[in-house]
Amino acid sequence: MKRWRYLLGKISWALFTILFVIILNFFLFRILPGDPARAGVRDPRLTKENIEAIRVRYGLDKPIINCFESLNPVKIGSCAVNPLDTQFFIYMGNLLQGDMMISFHTNRPVTEILSERLWNTVILIGAGQILAILVGVLFGMFSAWKARTALDFASLTISLVAWSIPTFWLGVILLFWGSNNGMPIAGMSTPGMSSYPLLTQWGDIARHMFLPTLTYTIVYMGEYMLIMRSSLLDVLSEDYILTAKAKGLSIFQILKDHAIKNAMLPLVTIIAINLGFTVGGVIQIETVFSWPGLGMTTVEALNRRDFPVLQGAFLLIAVAVILSNLLADLAYSYLDPRVKTE
Amino acid sequence: MKQKALYILLLAALVLSACGNLGGGQPVVVRIGWAGSPDTLNPGSAILSEAYTIFGLVYDSMYKLNLDGTFSLGVAESVEHSADGLVYTYKIREGVKFHDGQPMTAGDIKFSYDLYKTHEDFPYINSYTAYIESTEAPDDNTIVLTLSEAIPNIESQLVFMYILPEHIWKDHAEGSATVEFENFEMIGTGPFKIVEYKQNEFVHLGANKEHFETPPKVGEVIFQTFESQDVLVQALKSGQVDMITEMPATAVETLKAEANVKVLNGAPFAPAVSDIIFNQIAPENCPTDDGGLCTGHPALQDRNVRLALAHATNKQKLIDVVLLGYGTPGLTLIPDGLGFWYNDTIKDYEFDTARANQMLDDAGYADTDGDGVREMPDGSQPLIFRVNWPSDSIDAPRQAELLSEMWEEVGVKTELQATDPDALTAQCCPAFDFDVILWGWGSDPDPNLLLGVQTTAEIPTGYNETGYSNPEFDALYDQQAVELDLETRKELVWKMQEIAFNDVVYIIPYYEQSIQAYRTDKFTGWLTAFAKIELSDVTSLVLIEPVK
Repeated sequence: MKRWRYLLGKISWALFTILFVIILNFFLFRILPGDPARAGVRDPRLTKENIEAIRVRYGLDKPIINCFESLNPVKIGSCAVNPLDTQFFIYMGNLLQGDMMISFHTNRPVTEILSERLWNTVILIGAGQILAILVGVLFGMFSAWKARTALDFASLTISLVAWSIPTFWLGVILLFWGSNNGMPIAGMSTPGMSSYPLLTQWGDIARHMFLPTLTYTIVYMGEYMLIMRSSLLDVLSEDYILTAKAKGLSIFQILKDHAIKNAMLPLVTIIAINLGFTVGGVIQIETVFSWPGLGMTTVEALNRRDFPVLQGAFLLIAVAVILSNLLADLAYSYLDPRVKTE
Repeated sequence: MKQKALYILLLAALVLSACGNLGGGQPVVVRIGWAGSPDTLNPGSAILSEAYTIFGLVYDSMYKLNLDGTFSLGVAESVEHSADGLVYTYKIREGVKFHDGQPMTAGDIKFSYDLYKTHEDFPYINSYTAYIESTEAPDDNTIVLTLSEAIPNIESQLVFMYILPEHIWKDHAEGSATVEFENFEMIGTGPFKIVEYKQNEFVHLGANKEHFETPPKVGEVIFQTFESQDVLVQALKSGQVDMITEMPATAVETLKAEANVKVLNGAPFAPAVSDIIFNQIAPENCPTDDGGLCTGHPALQDRNVRLALAHATNKQKLIDVVLLGYGTPGLTLIPDGLGFWYNDTIKDYEFDTARANQMLDDAGYADTDGDGVREMPDGSQPLIFRVNWPSDSIDAPRQAELLSEMWEEVGVKTELQATDPDALTAQCCPAFDFDVILWGWGSDPDPNLLLGVQTTAEIPTGYNETGYSNPEFDALYDQQAVELDLETRKELVWKMQEIAFNDVVYIIPYYEQSIQAYRTDKFTGWLTAFAKIELSDVTSLVLIEPVK
């Protein structure tokens, strides 16, 4: 019973947060200066009539919401308009039907754009995350086990350096190194590959993934390593480890059966939160390697005041972060039974 | 364990690089790197120049634009116009085919022109139909255009009005479906046809060997998008691309030292003008009904001040520092890249700080309180100008710093501020809520566009950004807009440039050049002999062939 109530509480809180994000998203972008109908274009060939026609097409001629004609500049309008004929409620209505509307910049459906981009980002950062976790955790365990030796010091130094390197700088260095060694440096596939067998295509994508994934892994493994090391050192100093040692268990058995499970707890939080941010993409890596992911799309949409794409992307990122936090909470209650009762 | 991890990484790298080796027997592919991507493949809704580059390859239109700025006939064989210049009759070539094998007829042309005209939500192309009253296709090979006014530049109106296949577009001709039509199939008649398109990744084109005039010699052309220009340079060096359409000036020297790479610079295909905008709007011209605030510094309404600032501006230094030399000193909004229309007889104001100081002294702008900044002749207000520029500009911050130093020499102080481009538009015009803005224009092939920007009629619309108003200039503008004789029109256009220059409407620091580079060991035949450089234009891409 308690468990259900805990779960229900967490889920309803998550839903409430998502609703808040949806509403905030709408108003946030409309406070930005600039007119999406012109998208920063200043050209006499774009006549007043053209701009007006574009505004009507995107529904930008309608009031933002009752009493507000526009938010930047703030223009008070009539409060007596039909709420269903305001931009806000049209947006909410469409969203409820799963329609994220049409991009102002490319005139394509936002859901179509985002699903393409999301997939690109997930395979890139997903691979990077898994590698970073694996390498980081292994390094961390190794360091804790060999604590206060030259080896520990060396791997600690490597991790600290890796964690503090600016991502874009490392990316650029690897890009130059890679291009001199015949690695592709831009995009996620060689254009013109779609007529080749599927396996060749996947190999091609893997080649393109190599440099950005390596960048991601190097930068993020440091974080995992440091947390794993300190958490494991904490556990190793506990009395029950001493008992295990006294019983004559091997180091391997101590780590496997007694220490690691307990040391993983803080790591679960970090991994879950990072997985959520994964969806947002790593803008710097995507930019350096011209990777057509969600992060790059968001930046571009922002520059063009492409509200529908921005709203969609932010919603996606917010949902991912909230969901992964929810997952972390649930995983916690499973790993550590004390959490439920609080 | 650590070593093992390294081995695994190395092994992975080896396996991955082995996967990529492809067999031979493939078509000859030209790989082009650029730092952009089309916004859409729909000619009606497109705004970005990258989209127009692709349209120029896939579609044909009535005229072709040559690299020397002249026009020649495209799908038309011949043209005649009535004595009053209102009716144009085109004979269309026979046997022109769309990429899907269907014949192209005058009916398709009429359909396309009507489509562009009826859709006001087409941002650019719609405005090119402004003078077209009607399009008729009396038979399959004749088009009769009736204009509302006799205009001298019908070529530059029709050149971007691409011919679309009616049998495909007729299903997307109504309402918002037209703008939202993604046009991924992109059926045209041009020398290239689309193979595959991935937004923000690449545009993959194949040759249309059946093209009626210029079938390409290569098999395929691929435009690949790179997020930064520096990466473009690296991709060219390592041979991942054969040509790049843009690059940072800072990379030119290192790239020139590279074997098998040729770097070119020259006027861009769509000439660019960088301008220093002075808010000189007179109070009586302030467009208050359209949101005019007109808060400009009163000194800038005085030609003497603007002239003195022109003499105090060292254009060569701006070009050397900001563009590393890859630009030419500017005169007016009509850039040297327009060739025939560019008035090269105008002699630029000399850079002479002493003379500039003398001018300001003579005009009564003295520094009465000795703080190094001059005041208005009536002592009311010091000459402190707000200088703004769009925050996405790379060149403007350096330009602003240099200008600030140069103008300080003549007792003019500046307050420098980068502004979000949209916010700057709102501040600029028709609000006229600024003193000086560093901005620029992209020019049409015809001078009409940028001459219009300086007329009184464009003050309320916001396209006249200086507030300049001169009845003589306005009259000449109206005159050249209907002058059908080329030489007479040129005289009028040259005269207008002289007037604008003498009135110091702007200071034009420079016309920026475009820098492109290609690998000499891959393809040969690029068009490099013209003043304009545009290797990604159809004019070059149908000529190049692989190096033997």
